[in-house]
Amino acid sequence: MKRKSLGFYFRIYRKILAQDLKSKMSYRADFIISTIGMIFTNIAGFVSFWILFQNFPSINGWGYYEMLFLYGFSLVSLTPVQCFFDNNWALRNQVYSGDFIKYCFRPINMFFYFQSEVFDIKGLGQFAFGLGTLIYSWNKLGLEFSPLMLLKMIVFLITASLIMIALQNAAAATCFWIQNSFFVLDLVTKFKDYARYPITIFSPVFRFIFTFVIPIAFIAYYPSLVVLRPDEVPILSWISPIVALVFFFLSYKLWMRGAMKYNGTGA
Amino acid sequence: MSNIIEIKNITKEFKVLNRREGLKGSLKDLFSRDYKIVRAVDNISMNIEQGEIVGYLGPNGAGKSTTIKMMTGILEPTSGEILVNDYVPYKNRTRNAQNIGVVFGQRTQLWWALPLVESFKILKDIYGVSDKDYNDMIELYQSLVDIEPLLHKPVRQMSLGQRTLSDILAAFLHNPKIVFLDEPTIGLDVSMKSKIRTLIHALNKEKNTTVILTTHDMGDVDALCRRIVIIDKGKMLYDNDIEHLKGFFGYYRTLKIRVGGDLKQTAEKIRAQLPEFSVSADDEWISILVDEAKSKVMDVLSQLQKSYKIRDMQLEEISTEEVIKKIYEEGVK
Repeated sequence: MKRKSLGFYFRIYRKILAQDLKSKMSYRADFIISTIGMIFTNIAGFVSFWILFQNFPSINGWGYYEMLFLYGFSLVSLTPVQCFFDNNWALRNQVYSGDFIKYCFRPINMFFYFQSEVFDIKGLGQFAFGLGTLIYSWNKLGLEFSPLMLLKMIVFLITASLIMIALQNAAAATCFWIQNSFFVLDLVTKFKDYARYPITIFSPVFRFIFTFVIPIAFIAYYPSLVVLRPDEVPILSWISPIVALVFFFLSYKLWMRGAMKYNGTGA
Repeated sequence: MSNIIEIKNITKEFKVLNRREGLKGSLKDLFSRDYKIVRAVDNISMNIEQGEIVGYLGPNGAGKSTTIKMMTGILEPTSGEILVNDYVPYKNRTRNAQNIGVVFGQRTQLWWALPLVESFKILKDIYGVSDKDYNDMIELYQSLVDIEPLLHKPVRQMSLGQRTLSDILAAFLHNPKIVFLDEPTIGLDVSMKSKIRTLIHALNKEKNTTVILTTHDMGDVDALCRRIVIIDKGKMLYDNDIEHLKGFFGYYRTLKIRVGGDLKQTAEKIRAQLPEFSVSADDEWISILVDEAKSKVMDVLSQLQKSYKIRDMQLEEISTEEVIKKIYEEGVK
């Protein structure tokens, strides 16, 4: 049997997604409440950001609109992980209860099968909100707009997304080895909140950690420099797409290795 | 006929941490780890032919699941050889998965939020089932069970029985060569149990699918299996036809008679008359456990008829359940 092609997986995913959305819509109250909840979460996040800037006109040389840009950038780049990889949060429970075993019986990639099961629609609102913020601050900053710029934006948004996905995969996969993996996942998720600040505000120790250990600086800071401050782009920004790919691949391998090691809990 | 599953001397060992007791013990565990080897499956061999229904029995923790995991390719045996459909399952997990179906009694493998028919359509794509085969299968299902009300119901709204039924249908959908059913009737009511047994039987006949069934319900075994394999503590205890099982401890049948007068006294007399059998009496019946290897029940009956006026009689076969219980408790001599 030959390997299943990318097109095959894409087709399957589309089918599951369409059905999943249909069934989500049919639970109307649930759908409306989670939509409202999501709007409020985003507004609350924005308000705290806004209050901060009422008190400090700039942070370490970064002005209000630049910070807003960073904020929007991080929201958009965190969307894919929220939408497509949310099942990682359930991995731990499935592994402990033994339900994970069902993913081992299908002739398709286990990682894909597992992640395809959940599409979190809440991420879409975050995406819209982040995109709005990004466009707004883009205008206010008077940044140039050209096809090349747009291409750069897209490449670096994907880069940032991949980094976050990789971080989450790796954190979720720890449950194959350790008992209390929730804290790892939670920690990584909490750290992502720091992603929306320029890394220069942190002490050198944390700068090092956020760049090389838990690379959240790649979620917004390094990639957005390319657009925001084209004159002072560090080398780290330019290599970040490669870093992202490598890191994503490694996290996938770790996840799969864990899944292979897994062999159910009794009958 | 050819063997679809060939297992030769497989053994599976697990490394288990020997935990010490108490807080002090746990602290010690942190620093010096003391492992012991647990042999979950111990030198098991069997061949299964295409189209067989095999009851795979054993008490809890006997090693059934471990064997099945090895057959499905999730676990690699510590030693021994295993071939499923001519492939080594753990080396070809996805290829093997294409040819098997698996149902775990209480864990659904269907998409929780989706109506059954949508799950079927996704499975159809995953396994690459052609439109014609798919439609034929659905037609077959319709002729066997009433699936119309299930098809458009989301799995999460189904009762346990409906869900199990759906899971079984889903496992057969891509017409696999082998279907593993792990306690398919657990927790179901009597009518659902019989419905599911009929369905499994019919699908096995129709598609010549090999079925490996683990269960604790002897009703399943009696209704479905011609061959049973019993393991305990990882070792194979029995592998033969179900008819042989009944003769495993000798062909015992219980003859019950009702006579006039005091039953206890009569029982005493019969005991003296038939010293080779065990005789007991309760308020209504005198029971004689007859070992048919020694003499036929009918001979015993006619012998008794000469001395007593028998008003009523009953003949009880030893049930599969009792034999299995005996094997679990006593092992094989």
